[in-house]
Amino acid sequence: MFATTGNTDTTITTSYKVVLPFYGYAAFAFLVATILLLFSASDLTKHYFHPHTLAITHIMSLGWGTMMILGASHQLVPVLIEGKLYSNKLAIISFISAAVGIPVLGYGFYVFDMGLHTQCAGILINLAIIAYLINLAVSMLKSKHENVHAYFVFTAAIWLLTTTIIGLLLVFNFTYPLLLKNSLDYLPLHAHVGIVGWFLLLVIGVGSRLIPMFLISKYNNTRRLWWIYGLINGGLLTFIFIFLYSYNKLLLIIPLLAVTAAIVLFADFCYKSYKQRIRKKVDEQMKVSILSVLMMLLPAIFLVIIIALLVLTTKENTSLVISYGFIIFFGWITAIILGMTFKTLPFIVWNKVYHHLSGKGKTPNPKDLFSNTVFKWMSVVYIFGFVLFTAGILLQYTFILQTASVLLLLASLLYNWNVIKLLMHKPKSL
Amino acid sequence: MNVITNNNIKCTVALAALQNVMDPEIGLNVVDLGLIYQLDFDETERKIFCRMTLTTQFCPMGESITDAVKETLNFTFPKCDAAIELTFEPAWNHEMISEEGHEFLNER
Repeated sequence: MFATTGNTDTTITTSYKVVLPFYGYAAFAFLVATILLLFSASDLTKHYFHPHTLAITHIMSLGWGTMMILGASHQLVPVLIEGKLYSNKLAIISFISAAVGIPVLGYGFYVFDMGLHTQCAGILINLAIIAYLINLAVSMLKSKHENVHAYFVFTAAIWLLTTTIIGLLLVFNFTYPLLLKNSLDYLPLHAHVGIVGWFLLLVIGVGSRLIPMFLISKYNNTRRLWWIYGLINGGLLTFIFIFLYSYNKLLLIIPLLAVTAAIVLFADFCYKSYKQRIRKKVDEQMKVSILSVLMMLLPAIFLVIIIALLVLTTKENTSLVISYGFIIFFGWITAIILGMTFKTLPFIVWNKVYHHLSGKGKTPNPKDLFSNTVFKWMSVVYIFGFVLFTAGILLQYTFILQTASVLLLLASLLYNWNVIKLLMHKPKSL
Repeated sequence: MNVITNNNIKCTVALAALQNVMDPEIGLNVVDLGLIYQLDFDETERKIFCRMTLTTQFCPMGESITDAVKETLNFTFPKCDAAIELTFEPAWNHEMISEEGHEFLNER
């Protein structure tokens, strides 16, 4: 009488076995970074090219930010590209390579030994990114749909590989003079390709899909997203060109304006999504994520001041530069991860534990798998710690830095407590 | 959104049962969310055909939702075998949410 094909192919998503290790690893890296911050708080009153500062920055950017994003991205890529992830094996290769490479690299920076083990760590991290990029490229090629979000994610991955290749060259440049200048001179290039090309592009690409989706918003504006895509990539390419070929630092204002315009457009995109939402109640996790969108604007403001001082006084203000980096890694990137972890991880764990019980009885809600009270405390402690630490850097006051780093460590402990609670969740009898 | 069916009475019973199947993220049931497009009943073959959608393709919770719909239909009509067909044509949008669903989302 009628066909009963039972087509459920488009419900097959990435295995939790691939995704969960990334989440667990990132959470641990955040804890390690905050412990190191506590013991190295006074180092952040010195020059940013300090071994401890470099170690913390790389643990935050690679171990925390990148590992978390890679994990979430393996889960969310099917939603973004509307196709299956090509290979779980490549995802596992990516995880193992990065998981081994990151702590070795972090140690190399901490003791400032750019020898063989740090070089090998850099190679491993590059292999991890290449595996991720191949996985993403083939998944996209196999997908029948094209959309702006997929372009954001893929381009971001290319910028990530560019960043890690530059990073590897800088590590080798300490032993073998491969580049025209010292590695220190290339740090702004390495950092901004990573921050703008990888983190900003990816967060906007994924956020522009997830924020309206979670809010059930009527708002959609693909044309604007293409503008944002163009402004960020155009701005970054202009920055690279100016950095490599121009001595006029004032020109840096051009890429800064382009990227700031992109951030403002994205903030407005989020605001309109929020205003046109059907789901009126916004949960705590979404509030923290929306806060992180506003936090995107802070580094741009700092950068304007840094460039202005650079042009007017021809020397860098190191405390402003360190604040700028701190606001990016411990502010914007951390805030979005703190929020989005508990919008994604509970569902992955729920699927793992309760999937086979679907429709057979009452199961707990994914939101009930972690403690919302702990989440709220974590958010409060984190915001206080973040604001205080930024003030400590600007005022060059070690006591404030130490107090704030205790708060940030506490926030990371509360975060880890909730993540472990989720990862260890056992099915309740129905 | 109206559900296409060849048996109004059984469809009403099925939809009442499916109101217990929730989208875990939104907290709203699949009927008021407008995910169920068609419910047909084959009396002779004892089969139920359900054509439905998800709020997004490759939704991480998709398999759980479709399995729950299937289990619920099999439980409600124990002598029948339910088959689910997932479609994204037309793709789900907020206009498919029922009036009750809108009220629920406005309150929360």
